[in-house]
Amino acid sequence: MKFLRQRLDSLRNFSQKNKLLAFLKPVINAADEIYFGTDKVTTLPHILDSMDIKRYMSLVIVALVPVALGAVYLWGMRVLAVIAVSYIFGGMVEVIFAASRKKEIHEGFLVTGLLFPLILPPTIPLWMAAVGVIFGTMFGKEIFGGTGRNIFNPAIVGRIFLSVAFPSAMTTSWLMPFNQGVGGFLKFSADALTQATPLTTFRNEHLITDFGNLLLGGSSGCIGETFRLGVIIGGIFLIFAKISNWRLPLSALLSVVICSGIGNFFAPDKFAPALFQIFSGGLLLGAFFMLTDPVTGPFTRAGKWICGILFGFLVVLIRGLSGYVEGVMFSLLLINVFSPFIDRLVLGVKYPKIKK
Amino acid sequence: MRKSKTFSGGYRFINFEGQPKDTLEEVRVPLRVTIPLRQGFGAEGSCLVKAGEGVLAGQIIGHSEYGVSSPVHSSINGVVEEVKRVNYFKRDCLMVSIKGDGNPRYQKLPGAINNWESLATEEIEKIVYLSGVTALDREGIPTRMRSSIILPKEAKSLIVHGVGSEPYNVSPELLLKGKNILNLIEGIKILRKIMPNARVFLALSSHSRKILEEIEKLTSAYDWLEIYPLEPKYPQGYDEMLVPTILKQKFPYGYSAANVGAVILNLQAVLLSYEAVVEGKPLIERTIALCGPAFKEPSHIKARIGTPLREVVEGRVKEGLSARFVLNGLLTGFELKDLNLPIDKTYSQIIGLVESRERKFLSFLNPGLKSDSYSNTFMAKFSPRIQKTCDTNKHGEERPCISCNYCEEVCPVGIIPHLLVKYIQCNILDETLMNLRVFNCIECGLCSYVCPSKIPLAKQIREGQEKLTIQGCDRNQCILPYFDNFKGIEEYRGPKEL
Repeated sequence: MKFLRQRLDSLRNFSQKNKLLAFLKPVINAADEIYFGTDKVTTLPHILDSMDIKRYMSLVIVALVPVALGAVYLWGMRVLAVIAVSYIFGGMVEVIFAASRKKEIHEGFLVTGLLFPLILPPTIPLWMAAVGVIFGTMFGKEIFGGTGRNIFNPAIVGRIFLSVAFPSAMTTSWLMPFNQGVGGFLKFSADALTQATPLTTFRNEHLITDFGNLLLGGSSGCIGETFRLGVIIGGIFLIFAKISNWRLPLSALLSVVICSGIGNFFAPDKFAPALFQIFSGGLLLGAFFMLTDPVTGPFTRAGKWICGILFGFLVVLIRGLSGYVEGVMFSLLLINVFSPFIDRLVLGVKYPKIKK
Repeated sequence: MRKSKTFSGGYRFINFEGQPKDTLEEVRVPLRVTIPLRQGFGAEGSCLVKAGEGVLAGQIIGHSEYGVSSPVHSSINGVVEEVKRVNYFKRDCLMVSIKGDGNPRYQKLPGAINNWESLATEEIEKIVYLSGVTALDREGIPTRMRSSIILPKEAKSLIVHGVGSEPYNVSPELLLKGKNILNLIEGIKILRKIMPNARVFLALSSHSRKILEEIEKLTSAYDWLEIYPLEPKYPQGYDEMLVPTILKQKFPYGYSAANVGAVILNLQAVLLSYEAVVEGKPLIERTIALCGPAFKEPSHIKARIGTPLREVVEGRVKEGLSARFVLNGLLTGFELKDLNLPIDKTYSQIIGLVESRERKFLSFLNPGLKSDSYSNTFMAKFSPRIQKTCDTNKHGEERPCISCNYCEEVCPVGIIPHLLVKYIQCNILDETLMNLRVFNCIECGLCSYVCPSKIPLAKQIREGQEKLTIQGCDRNQCILPYFDNFKGIEEYRGPKEL
């Protein structure tokens, strides 16, 4: 601890003396703030909650740990390489912007850096992951002004960019997951055994994958979305810790159940049954971890219900009727677009104009 | 037992370290007191004594003919040393310093008798007024002598409360120890005689079960009294929250409960008016809770008004730490920087905090066995018996708002603090802000407390209100159209003349 303190202090002194290294200041400060708590004291109110943004964000990461571990088991150690690439290149963008703004580095990136690799296919080339995370952080977040001001979820922006720019790499190559013994913990990558995702199988052959496989990750899909048990555990942990709000995931999942129930009743060859829709694709990951992003989502209570319902509707609609098999990604983007508008409508009802 | 009532929003501060014990210690009569002539609300009294004059404890030394006010007494026997103007809680105020002889005797109020029921209403009002008790709490006790902004007959409801929703409170168990519980009921009867048109409500914390049961037993015969157990959730003790939870009535934010005909009094005010009428005791001393981690043995004291803080605090604070003293509320209270200032009628708690500038290693990862938080991310949430630490560290760096909505969830008046602050930071100060009810803010400070980004929301909302007022958008425009027959609006705050 003392050693670390001395290191940090000497590094700071060094960067202050050397003008060329001045741009490193935000990095050193960020490291300092991560290792040591603040020494600032309150004014009014005289006491403050022990919670801070660092803990907020690190608990989201804690909630993602089961998913990430499951992903390593299913797809091999290569997953760790993708995560590392995402953190390194996304972090670079964050540091460059923080340095040019002369502001501190914000912790929001910690979540994006882990969430982004989890929504990529396991075969993704590393350079592609780097391009995606750079694009996502830059155009999804930084150009809007950084943490707290972005309209779109940066991870979703990066993912959409990749699937538009490199459609074949993003949609056609899927792997068969490990499912025996120590799984992927001793191997670098899963064998290149292409297999369609459960949603594609449904679209082409009207077959429904076994629920045990869907829940535990025995089916193909993106890196983090197939170990759905972990996703559910993480999501419920976040809701219980009051970090994400229960309204959005609940309304989204309910809406998926209802919409797909109706769709399945009238057009069973287009719309999959409700339970299968819930447990396939990236719906759970999207509903628990991306829809609940407080910055890009709605903040009013009614707005949360409305957006959740709209999200579920869009997901079922895109999955059933569009050319894409998976609709979570686009639905999330659309919800991000809609939520300020919905909030405005809700506020207009909640706070009527004052009497004159 | 009825179910406890509450409001939506708010936050319960559970078991902070250094809760005061149920013991009462009388501070010895000080040899020198300084008495401010304006204590609490109301106008400043004109000084009735000169330097060099001898005064008796209980003698009225300050009294104003104009405006809403109550008399101020000398709290010790002695000689007036000096009368001068000083800056007291950011306002200019006359202070009378008295050098005393240490004799605890005091002058009794004229006309006070044991059998108070034989007194006429006017006489009771006069005794209560002359005792200075009428100056207690937000808007005091109304009498014919203009001690409050309304007249006694205009009071439609009287709420007596001992909810204790702050992190630290005067213990109601101590205040209502033994015979005091009967005194409280007598006190309520006395006040009911003063305010004949008022329905009476007694609101207590639902966690002081014993007292509630005892009072219910004692008062079962009175059909004019309603007892409300309330969840001790901050800021339930505020007038702004008591009126909607108990009376089911809108509160005129920014004005006072008296404007809508409700008189809200603390347990202590009722007990003191009983003492005034029956025992003839003027308001010269108060029970104050000394609490918080900086005190060696947090407990209650009874101190004469005007006692310098130093005398109260000295010897009771742990050695070798830099302490911060806060008056009454941790979220809104003044910091008591100058320990030479005296205790006055408005004091009920003095909280001693430890200034903590220590930079904890990896503080955001600690399990938090003793950390209090609105979120469920600390272990302390699962062990309510463990005492939580209470210090002045900010526990994190200031960051941009991520709209986590904690502030809206806890806001007791249903506004959205983070949205208001975003408008205010962008300098969009217009009717949008008023429509979002920026003037409903009661400055309880809870939004600033829970914010994980450490944004001083309450402070910025207040600044926004001030800027709006400068631009000519007034609180009145938001509140007055919603209320008819507002009472005491001309008398509101301060004298007309002078």
